Amino acid sequence: MEADFLARYADGEVAEMRDVVCRQAMDGTSAVLGITDLSARQELVRWPVSNIFPAHGRKGELRIRAGDRSTGARLVVTDRAEIARARALLPGLALKEKRDRRRQGAFIGASTAVLGAIVLAYVYGVPLLAGEIVTLVPPAWEKKLGDTVAVQMQAALSKGSGFAVCDPDPNSVANVAINRFANAALAGTGTPFTADVTVIRTDVPNAFALPGGKAFYFSALLDKTETPDEFAGVLAHEMGHVAHRDGMQQLISTASTGLVIGFILGDMTGLSVAGGLGTTLIDSRFSRTAEANADRFAAETAKRLRFQPVGLANLLDRVAKDDTMTEALAFLSTHPLTDARRAALEALRATDDATLPPAFTDSEWRAIKAMCGTTSTATPSTTPGTGSHETSPRTPSSGPSDSERQRDKGQPGA
Amino acid sequence: MSQVAAGGNGRSGAVRFTGTREELLGIMVRGYLGMLPTLGLYRFWMVTAKRRFYWSHTEIDGDTLEYTGSAMQLLVGFMMAVVVFVPIYAFLFFLSTQSREWALVGYAAIGLVFWFLIGYAIYRTRDFRLSRTLWRGIRFDQRGSALGYAIRRFLWSALMVLTLGAVYPFMAGNLWRYRYGHTWFGDRPFGFTGSWRTVAGAYYAIYAVAIVMVGAILFDLVGRRDYYTRANGSIVPNAPVVLLGLVLFGFLLFGVYFYRGREISRMFSSVRIGDATVTVTVRGRAMFAQSVVYVLGMAGAVIVFAILLGVVIGSIVSPLGGNGHAPQTAEVARILQGSLVNLALLVIGYLALLATFATLAEIVMGFGYWKLVAREAQISNVESLKTVRAGAEDKSLVGEGIASALNLGSY
Repeated sequence: MEADFLARYADGEVAEMRDVVCRQAMDGTSAVLGITDLSARQELVRWPVSNIFPAHGRKGELRIRAGDRSTGARLVVTDRAEIARARALLPGLALKEKRDRRRQGAFIGASTAVLGAIVLAYVYGVPLLAGEIVTLVPPAWEKKLGDTVAVQMQAALSKGSGFAVCDPDPNSVANVAINRFANAALAGTGTPFTADVTVIRTDVPNAFALPGGKAFYFSALLDKTETPDEFAGVLAHEMGHVAHRDGMQQLISTASTGLVIGFILGDMTGLSVAGGLGTTLIDSRFSRTAEANADRFAAETAKRLRFQPVGLANLLDRVAKDDTMTEALAFLSTHPLTDARRAALEALRATDDATLPPAFTDSEWRAIKAMCGTTSTATPSTTPGTGSHETSPRTPSSGPSDSERQRDKGQPGA
Repeated sequence: MSQVAAGGNGRSGAVRFTGTREELLGIMVRGYLGMLPTLGLYRFWMVTAKRRFYWSHTEIDGDTLEYTGSAMQLLVGFMMAVVVFVPIYAFLFFLSTQSREWALVGYAAIGLVFWFLIGYAIYRTRDFRLSRTLWRGIRFDQRGSALGYAIRRFLWSALMVLTLGAVYPFMAGNLWRYRYGHTWFGDRPFGFTGSWRTVAGAYYAIYAVAIVMVGAILFDLVGRRDYYTRANGSIVPNAPVVLLGLVLFGFLLFGVYFYRGREISRMFSSVRIGDATVTVTVRGRAMFAQSVVYVLGMAGAVIVFAILLGVVIGSIVSPLGGNGHAPQTAEVARILQGSLVNLALLVIGYLALLATFATLAEIVMGFGYWKLVAREAQISNVESLKTVRAGAEDKSLVGEGIASALNLGSY
């Protein structure tokens, strides 16, 4: 078999293709491919074999280039038999194809490893990262941000009509007691913020804190709150978020997670829902840590302000048990109750110091329970033996006895 | 082996497309599977494979195009685009923390910036592709200024809004002229002989009929209140108006496809490469048929995914309600929030749905459009191209830049 093959040839200089025959030859000591015009029987060019590379053509077509990528010179072999002859003559082509594939594979592998490392470092670094960045945010700005968020939430929750504040008088017994407690919880933490708690009327059992000290307690949750312990636990927990600046950290982490997800999906416009889901996936790690820290803060506060932090777990339990799905999800998605969490709260039971005044006095608690006017005047529950107070008709039977036990141990009477 | 030698002035070269949907489907499926283990990085290799497919199967006068770009170039371009987008993203984040009014103003401003950037990206992408397209050993090139094109496109679109679309033929003529006036094959400039007149007839005919029908409907709705049929106090337009609305919808639907076919055929047929003339014939009804297939395919995909989702949710919920009572809220909540695996599955399912849609769009619409344009395309006086010499190489372009970050997907 003669060592040659037929091809179409473009020299990369003029837009013309000629039919050529290619033969292997020696140019001194190095192998070359001589390309000869088929009709003119004249050698056009000699390509050094070492400088011949595969180019990309369609299936059943072999394209060969000489030199670097910028040249347009090509040999195109289309006939099956000719392709076989060309490959036999130029075994280097297959080797170079294989080498190129290996290189691409290695490059993909390496860049995936780098990207993966960045994502992992990010996922585990988010709490640290956000915690560091948040110290750079001026408190005044964070306060303003909280106010903005409050306005947005107000519009979203009340369909534009504004929050229905249960007790608009800031000097009422209930409001004074709540904010006294909240600020006492924040005292000594070095936080630049002042607590501003508002009880508002909505059907959703929830409570949350915003960046900058604003916090909201919803009437539906207050209805389900049976003891001052529970109320104080939730408030102290929310104040923990304020003191730790969790809202701000969450905001920073969500924004930067969006950036990472955008990079992975290649969608920098950040519109894709997958981006949102991925963000949730990464952020849930972050919020679990934040919740645990806020619980610890509540427990620390309990030592100073005399209440039982486990009331928080009791209330969470009750909301989880006796509510319809959507309502429960609203509260639980922000405050997931796990067995581990309850155990941690129970372990943090405050040693009762009778020299301290209780978190809320009987009359204060009565005023707080009555402030939304949705339940009949509740009997103070700090006195042992006064029994359970069914603020919600759907309260399960296991709830009261449980919380009663806590009360008996924790609050021996005012 | 060769028919080129025959020569002769005025000989036409035909365009032929030899690719199959099966091969493209293979590329898409491999691409999306490759994206899973590579955290999405494989998308640059998929796009490159896709372009090689389209280019290498497009035969002009017997010789195929070759795409010489590489995936690495796209990756580098994307990284550079990310640098541009991070400040925009930071600004978006800042906006989200501001009061409603300011946030809205800010979002509108960012929207305008994006609209402007899209024009820039379109031009850069075209430049990238043309400068990496080889035919008979000679490269194409796009010169002119991407910024200039973006400004033109931006101002034209503002005029479009102001004139309710009446200025469209002028915009189309102007932008096509700018694109092809700066396109080169080697050292030979392309030309564009079309203008607003090229598409004005078809466009304004449809525009006028639509205006008359909309006017009639508005007249009936606003002007002749007594014709309302009132049912339990609510206002219901009378039957002729509803009928007219349906006719308008049908007319616009077919009109748009008819017009698209017209525009593509006539505009492409106004393109010159030196003395060679391009002729393209695309029929609106063929494009319409493709859209129908695409919509049906999407609907099918949605149904399949909905059934799958139902089965999955059912298998999660049913063991809870197994002993007669309804599933406990707390239990369902715990499953939904407790397991990252469930969330991850949800994400993967969603990505699979996206990949299915994108594959469908590529296989039906992308492939179909390319094939329709190529099918009856001709280049007259193709012999005149034999004297084209290589131009100076355009080395300035590393990647497609912003385009790859903005997700401008086609081809």
